[in-house]
Parts: sequence; structure tokens; C-alpha cells
Amino acid sequence: MESFIIRYRNLVVLLALLMAQLVGLAVQVRRTASGSSALDDTDASGVRLIRLWANALISPPERLIHASKIGFAATWSNYIDLVHVRQQNKDLENTVDRLRLEEAALLEDARQGQRLQAILGFQEKYIYSTLAAQVYGSSGSDRSHDFFIDKGWRDGLKPDMAVITAEGIVGKVRDVFPHTAQVLAVNDTTSGAGVILEKTRIRGVLRGDASGQLEVVGVTADQRIQPGEHVLTAGGDLIFPRGLPVGAVKKVVRDPDRDGLVDIILTPAAPLNRLDEVLVITSTEPRFPPQDEKDLKASATEESAVPAAVKDQMKASEIMAEKLPGLIDPNLPPDQQPLNDNSNPNPAAQPPQPLHPDEFSPSANDDSNAGPGSDSTPKPKGSSAAPASPGGAATPAPKSNPQTAPRRNP
Amino acid sequence: MSLLGADSRREIEIHRYPLLVYALVLLGSLVLQAWLPRVVGRYVWFDLPLVVIVYFALGRRNPMQGTLMGAAMGLFEDALSHNAIGINGIAKTTVGFLAGSVGIRIDVDNHTIRVLLNFALSLLSSAIYLFVTRFLLGLAVEWNGLTELLRAVGNGVIALVLFPLLDRLQIRD
Repeated sequence: MESFIIRYRNLVVLLALLMAQLVGLAVQVRRTASGSSALDDTDASGVRLIRLWANALISPPERLIHASKIGFAATWSNYIDLVHVRQQNKDLENTVDRLRLEEAALLEDARQGQRLQAILGFQEKYIYSTLAAQVYGSSGSDRSHDFFIDKGWRDGLKPDMAVITAEGIVGKVRDVFPHTAQVLAVNDTTSGAGVILEKTRIRGVLRGDASGQLEVVGVTADQRIQPGEHVLTAGGDLIFPRGLPVGAVKKVVRDPDRDGLVDIILTPAAPLNRLDEVLVITSTEPRFPPQDEKDLKASATEESAVPAAVKDQMKASEIMAEKLPGLIDPNLPPDQQPLNDNSNPNPAAQPPQPLHPDEFSPSANDDSNAGPGSDSTPKPKGSSAAPASPGGAATPAPKSNPQTAPRRNP
Repeated sequence: MSLLGADSRREIEIHRYPLLVYALVLLGSLVLQAWLPRVVGRYVWFDLPLVVIVYFALGRRNPMQGTLMGAAMGLFEDALSHNAIGINGIAKTTVGFLAGSVGIRIDVDNHTIRVLLNFALSLLSSAIYLFVTRFLLGLAVEWNGLTELLRAVGNGVIALVLFPLLDRLQIRD
């Protein structure tokens, strides 16, 4: 027996290692309710230990390489490549001013939304706090779309926290180590997130395909889905807050497995293959974060500095609306009110001329041009405008005598 | 491909390297494999750990060392992904064993033979990965044959450049 093992030791070692790994794999895979196989979401302690060792071994040199690259890039961009920075700064300041005013305009809508949600007993959760992190490495394989960030549980990260950028969602935290964390990208085949199409309000599940493309799968075919439509998070997956950008519709293809359903291929909003910095959403609350509140106050202050003339103008139109309610249509926006509308293509038609004019005909007396509301009672023939008063001030015309008989035309 | 007889097999040179070279090259391949995709984006058409395993297993002409090295590297690769640990391990264990076994029988100093072997073993590694994932574990996996072919070509090209460089690090008598 001993000689057999020695003689075939290479083969014995191979078989032993293969068997050990197969048993290890069998432990990690479980049957789902639908009868298919799936990986356990949570790693067993032994598996987690191997991941921890691999991370401890690979992360330090990887972070060193990444830091060197960042250092070089920072030296270049901060000290050498400073062309147009002044102009960019000016442009950015203008953008910030504009955004503050826009934010102030949206503030009331948001608060109204909060009040309505409170009435309905529904609490929308806002991104309350985030943590910025650097992406320094990946899994190294296109078969699994995940990457590593330089923040871990010591920084407060936990599994299933959402990871985003300013452009859109990126993924969720999968494994957390002391100083690093593994993030599962949204374009992985095992990923999943609830999304909604912005205009058509069609809901679906987001995942990645084998080539790393984003797709919304299992959507009922609908002619309204057009390329370019934006896709947002639906908020039902308890990971991503509602309304975050996901991407735009690139094309719609037939679902190869299910008749009548389509898959929507997306162009991701965030550059998933070239991420440098990401934000991890560490908490969501049903209220605005302190920084947003501060910004909103600043926006409100700026809004109050809007030129007074604009406000006076608005006030004048409100007074007019009060005095002349008939000229204000409550169903129309202010700029389309008949009072302000000079572009009426169908002006009021002149009344038709009578076939047989009589004393009631508008042209039968001299006051035919009197406007509505003026005293159009026929005056006796020969009467004229009242003479000017000695003082030069015009005296009002005497009221016609209601007892005067109406004059008939011949 | 020149086959070696039993007598000449004893006479063939076994490549030896300082321990530090083993450590740094193996670790470097893992680190670069994890870092380079951030530079090249989605075009990850190479597998540096596989190239290094094939190189050392062929040079050492020892199937057991190739097997152990392949198992360790494969497990580390699995650990860096979110996939089950052992899929790459099985693929690279087999590749390490085969490379070490082939190294005993053929003249592995020939660059063309090494590059062709690298190409063939890359394809074999992909096939084992697919077999284990889909048929042994029953997991859903989407497969792109062209990508695997491109990866094998990429490994061959890297081997063409890397093997002569690593040859310079040998301990020579």
C-alpha cells in the first residue's frame, strides 16, 4: 500500500486536492425552493476565513500600487496641468448659484411631499449620511463583477449598504473586512435591484448579463419603452433609496427564455468599469441631512434676494386678479391667463349690422362707441356735452332723464 | 514537439529559482490580475496567475508542485471574487498537474511549445471552470466562447513576453 502511494503520489495528491475542493464547493451551494442551485448568501466561517486571508495578502500591495497611481495623477493635475482652472472655477461658481436657486424652488415641493407622506403614513427615506471611498482593485475576472474599496467595518461599513456615485448607482457592499470591503457591482449576473422607468413607470428587476451589460429583465413588452428613457431605482429592495439614477434605455430585446417578455438593455449612468471614488450610503432617514438643511437655508436666503421689482410685478398681478376675478381662469397657469395673453388668434367678432336698425341699434345714437358699462341711454337730440365749468374743470354729463320718450327712427 | 526518453528525462535540466522569486512572482501575478482590470476596463483577456502556474510547473517538471501551486493560486482567485471558493481552484489544480506532467515528457525550453501549451491549458482551464459551475454545481452561468478564446490568445501573448524574462531569474550552476 505504501509503495502504491509513493509510486502514484502525484496522482494521489491531485485526487485528494480535487476531492477536498469538491466537498468544499458542495458545502457552499444550496437548493432553492424552485429546485435550482444557488450560492449561499452568507459565507460559512471557513470560507470567510479564506476570503479574509486572500484579502489580507492581496490588499496591501494592491493599495500601494493604487496609491502610487493616485499620487502621480494628483501631482500632474494639481501642479502641472492647471490650464483653464480659473475659468472652470468661475463656471462652477455660477453653476452652484444657479443650483441653489433651483434647490430653493424644489424645497417647497419636497416639504409638501413630506407633509403628504406623513398624512398617508408613508415615510420616504433620504440619504442621510454617506462615506467616500476609493476603489483600488477588482476580482480580476470578468466572470464576477465586483471590486474593492478602501473602507471597512472600522469605518462603519456593513453588508448590503448601497454604493453610488454622483452619476448613479454602482452596487452594494457584499463582504466587509477591517479596512476594506468588497462591493458587488450592479452589472453582475448575481446582482439584483428594483428599478422603474421614469416616464412609463414600468417596474422591473435590474441585473447584469455575461458580458457585464446592465439589463432590466422580465418586462412585459410595451411599445412605449423608447431608447433614451431614464431608469431610476424603485426603492423596494431596501438597499437603494428611491429615485437614484440607474441608466438610460439603450435598446429593447426579446427575452430568449419567456415569450411575451422583453429585456431592456441599459447604458449605465455611472462608469462601472472605470470607478475611482464612490459613496457608500451608511444611513437613510425620513428627514433631510444637516448639510442639506444648511444648503436649503442658504438657498432660501438667496431666493429672498430676488429683485424686488419681480415680486412687485407678481403682487400687481395678484391685485388685478382680485379686482377682476372674471379675467382670471383658475385652471390656467399665470402666463396663459387671458389677461396676459396677447396672442389670441380669434379676437371677439364685431356684432353683425342689423337689417332694420332701430333706436336700440348701437349705431343709432352718438354714443355708439361707448364701452361696456357706460351709460348708453339715448340722449335727446340736440343735447351736447356739458359746457366746461368756469373753473375749467369738466363737469360730468348730466344723467339722462329716464322719463324722456325714446326717439323713433323714421 | 520533441518527446524525451526515460534516460534523457533524468538528464534534463530542472529550472530552479530563489524562494523570493517564487513568492514575488506568484503574489505579483495575483495583485496585477486584481488591479489591471481597473486600467483596461472590461477587456480582461488574460489570466496572469494561470500563465505563472504553467511557467513554474513546466520549468520545475514536478506534477506535485504544479498541483499544489495551482490549487493555492486558484483558491486565492476564488477568494477575491464573490463566487464559490474552489471553482478556479479545481481548474488550476488540474492545469498545474498537467503542466508539471507534460514538463517531464517534452522539451519545455522551446518558446513556441511553451506558448502553445499555455494557449491549450488556458482553454482547458475555461472548460473545467464551465464544467464545474454548470454541471457539477448546477449554477446558472452565462458563457461567451469568444471571450474564452481571446483570453487564451492573451495568455499566449503574455507568455511570449514573460517567459524569457522569468528565465533570466533562474539559478544557474
